[in-house]
Amino acid sequence: MAPVITLNLVDYAIIGGYILVMILVGYSLKKYMKTGEDFFLSGRSLPGWITGLAFLSANLGALEVIGMVANSAKYGIATVHFYWVGAVLAMVFLGIFMMPFYYGSRVRTVPEYLKLRYNEATRGLNAISFAIMTVLMSGISLYAMALLFKLMLGWSLTGSILFAAVVVLLYVFWGGLSSSIYNEVIQFFLIWLGLLPIVFLGLKEVGGFAGFVAKLKQPMLHAVKYLGTSNNPLGVDWFGVVMGLGFVLAFGYWTTDFLVVQRALASKNLNSARMTPIIAAFPKMLVPIIVVIPGLVALLVLPEFSQAALPTADYNSALILLMKHYLPNGVLGLAITALLASFMSGMAGNVTAFNTIWTYDIYGTYIKKGMPDAHYLKVGKYTTVFGVAVSVGTAYIVQSFPNLMDYMQLIFSFFNAPLFATFLLGMFWKGATPWGGFWGLLVGILTAAGHYILYRAGIISYHSDMAANFYQAWWAWLADFVVTIGVSLFTKKRDPKELVGLVFGLTPKPKTEARWYARPAVWGTLALAIAILLNVIFW
Amino acid sequence: MSDNTEIKDQGTGMKEGHVLDLKLPIGWLISAYGVLLTVYGLMTKKEVYAISLGINLNLAWGILMIVIGGGFLLTAFLKRKKA
Repeated sequence: MAPVITLNLVDYAIIGGYILVMILVGYSLKKYMKTGEDFFLSGRSLPGWITGLAFLSANLGALEVIGMVANSAKYGIATVHFYWVGAVLAMVFLGIFMMPFYYGSRVRTVPEYLKLRYNEATRGLNAISFAIMTVLMSGISLYAMALLFKLMLGWSLTGSILFAAVVVLLYVFWGGLSSSIYNEVIQFFLIWLGLLPIVFLGLKEVGGFAGFVAKLKQPMLHAVKYLGTSNNPLGVDWFGVVMGLGFVLAFGYWTTDFLVVQRALASKNLNSARMTPIIAAFPKMLVPIIVVIPGLVALLVLPEFSQAALPTADYNSALILLMKHYLPNGVLGLAITALLASFMSGMAGNVTAFNTIWTYDIYGTYIKKGMPDAHYLKVGKYTTVFGVAVSVGTAYIVQSFPNLMDYMQLIFSFFNAPLFATFLLGMFWKGATPWGGFWGLLVGILTAAGHYILYRAGIISYHSDMAANFYQAWWAWLADFVVTIGVSLFTKKRDPKELVGLVFGLTPKPKTEARWYARPAVWGTLALAIAILLNVIFW
Repeated sequence: MSDNTEIKDQGTGMKEGHVLDLKLPIGWLISAYGVLLTVYGLMTKKEVYAISLGINLNLAWGILMIVIGGGFLLTAFLKRKKA
């Protein structure tokens, strides 16, 4: 098959410029990596705007962007729920209510919090499952990147996998989390600059929003109106969207996934840490501009998505076909660079999260305890090599699902959905006991896995795979919640003195020294108000 | 890079920041892209832009990127002058 897109010298110069800058940034950070905390947590020194944009970008990977454009072409405006319902509230909640315990307790990782709040077994369960999940994700995105560049540009599969792996390895090895975060911030700007031309040209060609209204079916144009039953393009009812996506999946991902939380922990002080997810919430609400609009435009302008072709349409190709449809060489190279950047920063994020968890929670806990800091710094650096190698291995093993996004949601819901119940009870109920936490989490993960098996076997059925994922998250969360409380009633509690700084009610409230315009609560409230307003406008 | 205004370790884990000013690499990268696209836009023929609805996208986007990249560089420059 001939490649979809042909690049010229200017495009390659743009791609090369990005690679060069990333390597230079990584190299210039090398001199700051003196301690473990420098390497794994950027020395807890970064300002809020950087950690905030990185917090958002860590999730704005190329798979996410391509998958969301696909979802928009498939499901219409309802895709905004992944942003306005499925993210903003959770991000604000993390900033206002949870960050004081995460950042305030000076833990270095999410599993470390579980160790302090519950026990070693709970930490082990989370650390090991997270490490496996992270490597899986890294492998998935590496494979997807190589496949995409093969179909799109004709690049060799092995060539792109090894090239991306080596670049990521170099700059993470030199600059640790700082490299990852800086790459994510650069990626944030590249994604907007690379995709906005498609939005403008698309809107111009279809005649703006009036064009959508005139040419698309009603259910494609409303976010909320058709959620009364599961008879809408998503195939999910309001309960699935609100509780499954908005509550469990969103909170599970945004508040407990170390990949994103690590960015807030790199902040220079508590106020910046609390502002990190809240700063991220504002651009997050705007992301539908670069994913939903292209998705709808694809339906109207590309022959591949005309009414006659619909049943066989490959929605994941929508974004690439739009790039080919609208972008001349030059700006085309910029859009390709944006995709490349988000693949590489996604991989860098996974690798840094993996090496932090591995070094602190697995190696430093079970293999070699109590070594000097310099030893762990070295282990972290070499774990980077190991993590990249495993990702490359996984890339060859991973097989793709019809819709990449559904697959990612599936993995999140096995591990992350129940975890939010463990954190919620851990942070806000001092009665949760160590073994309550452990058994709740284990039963939650098993419930998710069990639900998935029953669904695959056809014993439980839903209107769509997405509905199955949302409900699976909900049941896993509920199982964790109920079992944690149940076991806590019969097992030994921890001494409340040990829980100071970890649990709400036993911790003095953070003194808000920031002026009113720098306070998390003010900005958090504003973000929520805008999210509600957007839902009403696109009702 | 390290001057006397760095934040001292106060026993809370606060350390000297990773003081690479990110506005500089972002600014340089975006403005270099802008210059490249602008020049390329001026060199290319009109027919190339049939797909972008007749708009010389490289020229237009290049100029925009020079402005954005320049903005980052200017902010970084002013901050450095103040410090």
